[in-house]
Amino acid sequence: MIREIRFAFRRLARSPGFVVIAVVTLALAIGASTAVLSLVNALLIRPLPYGAPQQLVLLLQHFKSQNLERIPVSPPEFVDYESRAQDFDKMGAFGFLDFNLASGDKPERIAGAQVTANVFPLLGVTPIKGRFFEPTECQVGRDDVIIISERLWQRKFNRDPRILGTKLLLDGKSFTIVGIMPARFDFPLQLFNLGAGGQFGGRADIWQPLAFTDKALSLRSYRSYSIVGRLKPGISLAHAQAEIETINGQMRIEHKDNYPPADSFGGDVYPFQELAVAGMRPTLLILLGAVALVLLIACANLTTMLLARAAAHEREMAIRVALGAGPLRLLRQVLTESVILALLGGVAGVLLAIWGVDLLKSIGAQTVPRLREVNLDLRVLIITFAVSVGTGIVFGLVPGLASANPELTESLKEGGRSSTMGKSRNRLRNAIVIAEVALALVLLTSAGLLMKSFVRLQKVNPGFDSHHVLTAEVSLPKLKYPDDKAIVRFSDEAQRRIAALPGIQAVGLTTILPLAGSNSDSSFAIEGRTNDRNAPSPDEEKREVSPDYFRAIGTPLIRGRFFTQADNADAPLVIIVNQAFAKKFWPNEDAVGKRVVMGGMSPDPKWITIVGIVGDIRHAALDVEPKPEMYVPFAQDPYKSMIFAVRGAQDPRPLASAIRSHIQSIDPSLPLANIRTFDAVIAESVAPRRLSVVLLGVVLLATVGIYGVMSFLVVQRTHEIGVRMALGAQRADVMRLVIGRALQLIAIGTAIGLLMALFSMRALQALLYHVSAVDLPTFFFVTFVLALVALAASYLPAQRAMRADPMVALSHNT
Amino acid sequence: MIRLHNVERSYPLGRGQLFYVLRDIDLDISQGDFVSVMGPSGAGKSTLLHILGMHDHGWTGEYFFDETATHHLKAKERASLRNEKIGFVFQQYHLLDDLTVYENLDIPLSYRHYSKSERTALVGDALDRFQIVGKKDLYPRQLSGGQQQLVGVARAIIAQPKLLLADEPTGNLHSSQGEEIMKLFRKLNEEGMTIVQVTHSEKNASYGKRIVQLRDGWIV
Repeated sequence: MIREIRFAFRRLARSPGFVVIAVVTLALAIGASTAVLSLVNALLIRPLPYGAPQQLVLLLQHFKSQNLERIPVSPPEFVDYESRAQDFDKMGAFGFLDFNLASGDKPERIAGAQVTANVFPLLGVTPIKGRFFEPTECQVGRDDVIIISERLWQRKFNRDPRILGTKLLLDGKSFTIVGIMPARFDFPLQLFNLGAGGQFGGRADIWQPLAFTDKALSLRSYRSYSIVGRLKPGISLAHAQAEIETINGQMRIEHKDNYPPADSFGGDVYPFQELAVAGMRPTLLILLGAVALVLLIACANLTTMLLARAAAHEREMAIRVALGAGPLRLLRQVLTESVILALLGGVAGVLLAIWGVDLLKSIGAQTVPRLREVNLDLRVLIITFAVSVGTGIVFGLVPGLASANPELTESLKEGGRSSTMGKSRNRLRNAIVIAEVALALVLLTSAGLLMKSFVRLQKVNPGFDSHHVLTAEVSLPKLKYPDDKAIVRFSDEAQRRIAALPGIQAVGLTTILPLAGSNSDSSFAIEGRTNDRNAPSPDEEKREVSPDYFRAIGTPLIRGRFFTQADNADAPLVIIVNQAFAKKFWPNEDAVGKRVVMGGMSPDPKWITIVGIVGDIRHAALDVEPKPEMYVPFAQDPYKSMIFAVRGAQDPRPLASAIRSHIQSIDPSLPLANIRTFDAVIAESVAPRRLSVVLLGVVLLATVGIYGVMSFLVVQRTHEIGVRMALGAQRADVMRLVIGRALQLIAIGTAIGLLMALFSMRALQALLYHVSAVDLPTFFFVTFVLALVALAASYLPAQRAMRADPMVALSHNT
Repeated sequence: MIRLHNVERSYPLGRGQLFYVLRDIDLDISQGDFVSVMGPSGAGKSTLLHILGMHDHGWTGEYFFDETATHHLKAKERASLRNEKIGFVFQQYHLLDDLTVYENLDIPLSYRHYSKSERTALVGDALDRFQIVGKKDLYPRQLSGGQQQLVGVARAIIAQPKLLLADEPTGNLHSSQGEEIMKLFRKLNEEGMTIVQVTHSEKNASYGKRIVQLRDGWIV
């Protein structure tokens, strides 16, 4: 065997051109499939990085009558679930929380979370140093302890071994470090496309005990936490779901005022793993299908080329048979060669995949859950090795079988044929080319539809003008900013100072930025409309914004007015709504001047007057239609976390440091976090789509092999072309012959490919935006391009063959 | 050793007609014989050689090799018999270009499942016997035509066959090189090897013990 490997290397070394083409073809195909495999492995196969993750579930709620799905729970509801549920071994609540870390003269915002004492133990993890939280530390006043990540320990404390017990100043308050979690620990996971997910951002590096205040424990409408639980051994998801429904029923009876009647309200138990990656599953499965096709195309390419090589080496095979080689031995020799080629392609493919995975991570790490974990681990490498060997066997088998039974008598005779092709072998190669054209058409059509979809999405009007807008986040510590007045004072001063910078056109702030992954909503009642107790209150999305916010992001005023500085805490309460809101609730009236009250109707309602209507904004995603929204003046309902939107006359990125120093001139302990352009926010929001487009771009490269094979087939006919020319054939005759053959193959291949595409494109529909799965222009365009490529691949080498000296052409022997 | 009776080889011409390359061949070749097959181009010389060498299976008639009725054997059994008893020398040498001289000599042995030590010994003997030890690491393209054919002959007999078949063994060589090869054949024959060669050359034929003339597929 070793000798056969050595001989195979030697034979390959004599055809460097062929080897390069083959290895590049294989590297692209295997590289693309390895990259997709590593995605599938990390997102769909690899278990979550917790102990026995299959028993972990998330518990979220819904209010069907208000179209609210997968929303967080309130503290008293968590207490109800935790105290009553018997199917759960343990249950814990958690919420995202960022911290301002005082760090010399450069404060920093660190992503983190609050967790109840049960969360770490139920996840089945252990700290690398120290301990988890005690239940007593989840009480207000005793929650001044934190656990930090190994990453933060490394980065900020240089792995100081005496770290435990050290005090850390977070948001102006001192916390004691009691534990360190390993670097690979990641919790909470970003849950893509879920209301319960936190804002897209970094991994949590600080965990604080979640201590509910008495007030929080009394508010059933204050839904800010998610629940993670571990099912008891042997308990099924359905059983746990049934128990949660029983508890929901009890809640509805015990707290009638808080829940709509019937079963509009409820809680749902989801497998943690499922929820973490569900959004990416269709994309990944389609990509997996695409790379399988790419591999098939690569196999077809290589089979065709190896068949031609087999014809050229038929005499050699005949000699080997004459020397005593059996068919199996010859087959083994050809397969050794093809598997070596495939392994070389595999190695190059893995290198490509390493680069590709880095590229994918840079595209989608912010928005695709678990993407950071994607790597080429042992499992992926083993599968890639198996795929490479399998690919080598697949594309070597047909040429191997053809070589294993050479025409002995003819091949060994002096002057016997050596490179002319038998009819059956020609038929075989034609069939392979037809299959290849058909597969390429399916792939190109998929890529075409996704590209078109992506372009359409890029052209969608999001409802704001993101160009030249910089966004940055600030979170005020409660100790230093204990009341609304202090918050408003800071926000007004910050906006005033930033607006004074040269080149700034408008400065606004909001609590929720479009397309950034977070959301908030509120129920409300409309003046003059029956608020039937039995009917659920309407519930729509709600943001708090400053007077200049809409000018800063370029959202147009449709009617009424924007907020002004006069809309402060002492002024009458006002809101602005968007067009979707106005149309939904006053389809035939003017919404401006109408009044609503937040929450439910009360005997003494605080009426809020609608003073303006603004254009619709796509908040959840570019491919999700705008929803009704309410905007409240920030001064009338201030929040400690705020996002500045700064519009510059030009690219505002250079102003980032000036903005930071202005914020810190007001409060030196405040870090400015998540500084990025609004354009970048949009780009990150479409990362999963971009991901699939990039991967299919690689797929396109792989289909370039069509050109290689078609031209290879014509080059094979150089001798025949020479003979025909020597016999007096005109250029047009030869061209007709060559192009005619190519056209035949393309026509049959595209007909089969179109049929395959028509049936298979339905699976793609879920990933398309405003493009039909049977979009005829795309189908026509792709067919045209493919035909053009194949024709060029036939025309150019035929031209070369005809221009060549007939003697050279006649002596041409591959 | 070899007995052909009524052997015929034909190819279909279409419409049920056949083109005969060999007709009614009766031929006996004894152990130790040295037969030269002669005749004009298209007479069927090479076809006869390939039938003797069991490369061609599309013939009819009877072919006994060492009393084994090869016409009753399956293709696999014929291949096995061929590997055991027959060696080939070709006009174009047909050395494997990617293998060194040593490896070219080694490969027939490896196909016959000789052990590594046996192969080393046999190849060493052949290199010595044909005085090509100094060439063992060279590739065929680095050798002259005569040297290549010398390797071709060495390769053909390395597995110690009873019958050596040669198809125009000197056809591509200068006369002096051809003479060397023919002397080598005579020596091998004197040592007991049965040889059948196809040749156009009267001079080469004279190295053999008898001549078989073919014309239009018939022995004349």
